[in-house]
Amino acid sequence: MIDTAIASLTSGGAYALLGVGLVLTYRMTGVLNFAHAVVGAFGTYTAIVAFEAGVGYGVAMILGVAVAALLSGGIGVVMARWFAEEATIVRSTVTIAMFLGVLVVGFRLFGDTPRVVPALLPGVRLEVGTVTLTGSTLLSVGGVIVLAGAVAWFLAKTRTGIVLRAVSERPITARLLGVPLRTLVVAVWAVSGAVAGAAVTIIAPTRTNDYASLAILILPALAAALLGGFQRVGATIVAGFGIALVELMGARIPAVARYRTVVPFLVILAALLWMQRKEVWDEAR
Amino acid sequence: MRRGDLVLFGSVAAATVLFALLPPFWAFLASSAFISALLISSVGVVYGRAGMVSLCQVTFAGIGGWVVGYLGVATAVPYPVALVLGALAAVPVGVVIGLPALRLRGVNLAVVTLGFAVAVSSVVFVQGFPGARTNDPVTRPGLVAGERGFMVFTAAVFLIVAAALLATKRTRLGAAWEAVRHSERATAALGLSVSLIKLSAFAVSAFVAGLAGGLLAAQLGFLNARNVEPVDSLVVFVIGVFVGAHHVGGALLGGVLGSFFPELLRRLSIPQDVGPILFAIGATHILARGGRGLAEHLGRRRPAAGGDVVVLRPEGGAPTRHRADPGRDLVLRASGIEVRYGAVVALEDVDVEVAQGRILGLIGPNGAGKSTLVDVITGFHRPDAGSVTVGETVLDGLPAHRRARLGIRRTFQTERTVPALGAGEYLRLAAGGHLDRAEVVELLAFLDGPDPDTPVYAVDTGTRRRLEIMGCLAARPTFLLLDEPAAGLTEDESLRLADRLRQVPERFGVGLLVVEHDIDLVAAVCDELVVLDFGRVIGRGAPDEVLASDVVAEAYLGV
Repeated sequence: MIDTAIASLTSGGAYALLGVGLVLTYRMTGVLNFAHAVVGAFGTYTAIVAFEAGVGYGVAMILGVAVAALLSGGIGVVMARWFAEEATIVRSTVTIAMFLGVLVVGFRLFGDTPRVVPALLPGVRLEVGTVTLTGSTLLSVGGVIVLAGAVAWFLAKTRTGIVLRAVSERPITARLLGVPLRTLVVAVWAVSGAVAGAAVTIIAPTRTNDYASLAILILPALAAALLGGFQRVGATIVAGFGIALVELMGARIPAVARYRTVVPFLVILAALLWMQRKEVWDEAR
Repeated sequence: MRRGDLVLFGSVAAATVLFALLPPFWAFLASSAFISALLISSVGVVYGRAGMVSLCQVTFAGIGGWVVGYLGVATAVPYPVALVLGALAAVPVGVVIGLPALRLRGVNLAVVTLGFAVAVSSVVFVQGFPGARTNDPVTRPGLVAGERGFMVFTAAVFLIVAAALLATKRTRLGAAWEAVRHSERATAALGLSVSLIKLSAFAVSAFVAGLAGGLLAAQLGFLNARNVEPVDSLVVFVIGVFVGAHHVGGALLGGVLGSFFPELLRRLSIPQDVGPILFAIGATHILARGGRGLAEHLGRRRPAAGGDVVVLRPEGGAPTRHRADPGRDLVLRASGIEVRYGAVVALEDVDVEVAQGRILGLIGPNGAGKSTLVDVITGFHRPDAGSVTVGETVLDGLPAHRRARLGIRRTFQTERTVPALGAGEYLRLAAGGHLDRAEVVELLAFLDGPDPDTPVYAVDTGTRRRLEIMGCLAARPTFLLLDEPAAGLTEDESLRLADRLRQVPERFGVGLLVVEHDIDLVAAVCDELVVLDFGRVIGRGAPDEVLASDVVAEAYLGV
């Protein structure tokens, strides 16, 4: 049991990181970003290609994260430029189109076969009693802790964070107060893209890592974000780890192993139905 | 069928003949185009018309193809029958995945359907399709065995489905899909079951997608998981957004883009995956323009709002066909109503009564709880205590659409007509039962409506607000609750409306409850007033007495 829990930490951390990115873009810019994971995968593959081409390990990884940030920022520009006033559903539909676009461009550039992804921090091992924590696990869990702390601090303590919260709650009021909305929106997108790039890069060595499979990481991320109600960062993180744990437990029981990819779907369905059990109408009067 | 549609169908038939004369390769491409067009039509139903984002259309197709393959291997069912059975098999799956859509909407539904697509793909499709392992392809009967014959067959299936979907635009179901896309609350207020409408859209859409899957299975012999990947659902959805999948022309355009465009790219030695990228850009562009697809931009243009609208002159006084049974003087009674939001009390022990044939005014400052009371009476908000009755009938616990069908209709503070329908179509949808043209014209004349064929989106807000009232009256209700009917009207319009409202009880046998801030209108129209402040009744009685009283002046003016 403890082994399973430890083994699920890497995936759990990555799901949590991706989920937090979704929550951030949803809260700050009112978009459910379907393109989130595919942007991360694009960054990861950029890093792999650069590494294979002889670029230094660390530089390649940073390059990947930067490309994810740029790509995501680009989507942010489109959002801020053309869809600032649209409803959440319209903007989210745009990200479905973006998902497709980035996916196909990636296929063209990277192909659809799995690659050997060098594990992060290969030499690092931490032994705690009988349990061994690998570099990936430490990075994943550490990344989550750092990110969660940074987000909490940023939103609560910095002026920009407070402004962003204002923007997410009352965009028009914020604009009337002279907030440079576009710049901020694009910045949020870029940061969430960078986090996605890092998260996918952490998880890539541990699983089937062809480009499309990495893009489908959007599902556990969505499940985690949903369990956080698209609002609460803490709940999203817990959910991310929880989903990874349940998935891995499923994978270790032979009878259900084949069906473990259904876990995010079932979690999504149950969570949504539970959370919306009372909501009946589509809008306020 | 409109002329434009006839021309379109004729051109498709002509193109089919043309392709039947070309080498089989072209026939194969054309079949692919028709199959894609069917899939895109299925997006047109669920997204284009009913407004729900579904990202699992190819999964429905996979189910259709799976069943066709299974029937081919395990039974002697002839192919056309198997095709229909496969499509029917997709229907219950569509209904099941539509069930969460009853509560979830918009973005959440997109998430669920995407999850479903991935789940089915990785659990069912990955294990292989019937016939694939044993290399036992679907056998197409003699006439459609060749590529050309099969192409004609796919064209025929597409045209039949397209014609059927086109025909639904004139039915109540089609109008109801438009209504639910626009506003669920308003749909329920029209007495329509939002659940049934959404499920029907999913069912029809799954059937059409299932047909496409069955055709694809026959075209390829058998399917494999790579033919029906979750990503394909995204592609089909994005193409659907781009082209305007709810138009026949849009679906066809999408089909052609989906099959001939890659071939064109191949011949020009351009990588074929440029296609989806262009679709993604196109869809983004369409969404940015707020449009409903390329087909809409290419086809007839929308007339400018407020364009040449024919206003029928009212004739006054005419026949009173709508009068309810004069023997039934019913009373709508809400008693002891209490609504709390946490610690905030929105309504506290409120009693109101309206008799058929009378007009009750409900006034009070903003936030007094007037609209909440209307929501409680019409079933849009469940009160924490209290009861609503009509005559002997207790309404508590009945959903909004059932109350509307029992003859309790309402309008909303912001008008909620259905923009895509014609004025006459809207009235027919609202009426619930039959409404002949004479009745439509009479109603439109009564409240200064536009010509019955004028689309709702082309008339101004004031006219839409009146249309909403006309719609309610068309249903011959026993009680009608109007939530600020004069808001947004000019003073002239407001005076005319007051004049008409006064005639409503006599003419339609309706009991009216009017929530209004326009004190002149209230004073001129109502038989009795109830004043709400902070959720409590602070005055009631004849309008002139109530309006002269100190409590009311204090509540309104703070003096």
